Amino acid sequence: MPAVSQEAPARPRARRATRSGGGPAGALVQRAIRDGRVLTVVFTYLFLVYSFIQPVGYRRIYTTAAGREAFARSFGTNPGLRLLYGEPHNLATVSGYTAWRVGGVLAIAAAVFGLLSAVRALRGEEDAGRAELTLAGIVSRRTAYLSAMAAIGAATVILWAAEFAGFALGRLPVAGSAYLALATVSVIPVIAGVGAVASQLASTRRIALEIGGGAVALFFLLRVIADTVAGAGWLRWLTPLGWAEEMRPFAAPRPVVLLLPVAASALLLLIAERLGATRDLGSGLLPERGGGSSLALLSSPVAQALRSQRDSLIVWAGGFAVFSFILGVVASSVSSNGIPAGVNRQVAKLGAGSITTPAGYLALIFFIYVLGVSLFACAQVGAARREEAGQQLETLLALPVGRTGWLTGRLLLGAVAAALICVLTGLLTWAGAAAGGTSVQAGQMLEAGLNCLPAALLFLGVAALAYAVVPRASAAIAYGLVVLTFLWQAVGALLSAPGWLVGLTPFAHIGLVPAQPFQVVAAVVMIGIGVAAAAAGLAVFRRRDLIA
Amino acid sequence: MKAIQAEGLTKRYGATLALDSLDLSIEPGEVYGYLGPNGAGKTTTIRCLLGIHRPTSGRAELFGVDAWGDPVQAHRRVAYVAGEPFLWPAMTGAQTLEFLARLHGGTDKAYRDELVQRFDLDTSKKVRALSKGNRQKVQLVAALANRADLLVLDEPTSGLDPLMEMVFRDCVTAAKERGQAVFLSSHILSEVEAVCDRVGILKEGKLVDQGTLAELRHLSTQTMDVTFEGQAPELPPLPGVQVRQAGPNALRFEIAGSVGPVVTALAGHPVTALVSREPSLEEIFLHHYDGHASR
Repeated sequence: MPAVSQEAPARPRARRATRSGGGPAGALVQRAIRDGRVLTVVFTYLFLVYSFIQPVGYRRIYTTAAGREAFARSFGTNPGLRLLYGEPHNLATVSGYTAWRVGGVLAIAAAVFGLLSAVRALRGEEDAGRAELTLAGIVSRRTAYLSAMAAIGAATVILWAAEFAGFALGRLPVAGSAYLALATVSVIPVIAGVGAVASQLASTRRIALEIGGGAVALFFLLRVIADTVAGAGWLRWLTPLGWAEEMRPFAAPRPVVLLLPVAASALLLLIAERLGATRDLGSGLLPERGGGSSLALLSSPVAQALRSQRDSLIVWAGGFAVFSFILGVVASSVSSNGIPAGVNRQVAKLGAGSITTPAGYLALIFFIYVLGVSLFACAQVGAARREEAGQQLETLLALPVGRTGWLTGRLLLGAVAAALICVLTGLLTWAGAAAGGTSVQAGQMLEAGLNCLPAALLFLGVAALAYAVVPRASAAIAYGLVVLTFLWQAVGALLSAPGWLVGLTPFAHIGLVPAQPFQVVAAVVMIGIGVAAAAAGLAVFRRRDLIA
Repeated sequence: MKAIQAEGLTKRYGATLALDSLDLSIEPGEVYGYLGPNGAGKTTTIRCLLGIHRPTSGRAELFGVDAWGDPVQAHRRVAYVAGEPFLWPAMTGAQTLEFLARLHGGTDKAYRDELVQRFDLDTSKKVRALSKGNRQKVQLVAALANRADLLVLDEPTSGLDPLMEMVFRDCVTAAKERGQAVFLSSHILSEVEAVCDRVGILKEGKLVDQGTLAELRHLSTQTMDVTFEGQAPELPPLPGVQVRQAGPNALRFEIAGSVGPVVTALAGHPVTALVSREPSLEEIFLHHYDGHASR
């Protein structure tokens, strides 16, 4: 930025200028913190509870040193668990176990938080047209950018404090807890940097999220391969999620590794700042596709919805396809390793299921896909909500288009797309497993894939009901419910909660196909609840006002 | 020093030429009407003037400061009303005004309160609950209360009702009296005619006409309706004048340039009534657009 003009003249008239509480940068930081507060509160809660529950649960289940040793011996080498939690160190100690169970999972959560925060604060504001107003004030692009990043920095400190507090309350050593929490949140600025660069490339918030989400998925995949495939450990150095592991909290701490996320985030944030300095506000650096001349898929509101969602659907389906193929390949490296039956039962209590065979491992990853497809279902209702918030729905409903028909169409579209993703996931897991040398039947994998559908339909219906009743909060409620019920089962099992309490979550009733049989009754009940919730949602939606 | 000085301002978006070497020069204290239909390049001009979009070539200066090179310094003496009132939906009007005041600094709060009254704005409501016109008022109050030396207004009255439109015109007049310059982009001709000293007409990214209203009128055709006693006479052809029959004993003259030759030609004929009319801004505007379009 050129130097400020020296000969800027004094103002011609005196005026009653008032400056209230801090300059533009202060106002922008406050604004950004306020905009991100819901996200920050939700993640703070997650970080606090999750980091508290793990050491407490471990002590409760493995009461003796012998039990801990047995657990460590058998699970230290299990690729199935490494998939989720990363490479373990010192599993026979509370702190080593906690570092393993918490670090991997919360590092992924940290990545999601960094991406959502950065894209919302940068491309989101620009996409909504508000950045133009902000930058018409006495605010440089750099100031606006740094203010947004400062707010994310503040949130990072809060999340670090939450995770640290969770460990401390769980009676872990203080210094190690602080270091472990630092390793986890070190992912946030790096992925925020990825989000910041994606925000310069993409011209809309959604595309920026898709680019950044692709990068996070790639980082995750690299970490999974590094942790599960023999000889691929070096790949860990290529992903911020791996750096968090390489800091080795509670094992052999290597604080020098912290320089990697620091350098990477500084570099990414600088690149984003430079990219943002010279482009037209509101535009992205990636060329926008022309409008095209195709008039296909314009015959009805649902067809048009499919048209506008097409890219997003391709991204979701592509993500599931890549993951299921690669995790399918990895299945062959899973073996039972002579784990004692007693330990196995105890591990089942930890919520991981029996994962010592390829079938058990596949059942576990399909269980994760249930979560994925359920989140996809929520996203479909979210898209419908955006159409209302953007007032396009108002235009549609002023035409001879019925409300019930519109929403039913959107829900059916979501259900069909979810079913296709389930089929795709099953087939590609089969293909991956076959390529990796694990013999599984295609039909069995297809069954496992479709086993993800009932829960997704349940959440689709519940999300539709939430959308009808509380439109503005519906996305938060829908996503929140999925994550809460998913963790409910894990946490409930860990704390030995009564069966009926754990049974409140649908995830407790899903058969772990292919390791367990498909639960017909549970599937029928879930679909029934989903349909009933959707019907109730339709009835409410028909009566309520449209809300921008 | 000029309030706005643009030289050879050109902006391309891919293959589209949005601005074609535009020259603008606006004095401090001047109210400049910037006219053009949708898509002529008005908003693009403003984005380049504010340094929000980068000119492909040429430059724009606000009070001598390059808008792209040093937008912050350039904005110190400028207040802006965007074409669309994109605001923060969860903030109330009062919070929005406070936020924008802190972003810019130098807000005259007493005048702001007065403006809130005059525009009849309920600042306790959240922005998302406001109509488009009311959101527009929030932006207008924030900009006008800034007392900046230059107001850049992009179609500022879209969504306002006629009463508020009148309040707006009063405020622009008051701003002018205080010595503020105003760059008013609009396609509402009556508004421009009412408040502007000078007018520029933009077409496909080029300034096709510019001047005071009197100058524009001078360059455009005047209409003269002449009624005769009995049948209208046959007149010799006059350069720059078109004659049409306008009734059994009336003629309509469309005169480009001076009316002298027509008056001379009429001398000696039995004229009973003569009505001369200056062209309205609307006619000047349509002349530029229809005339060129039919070519």
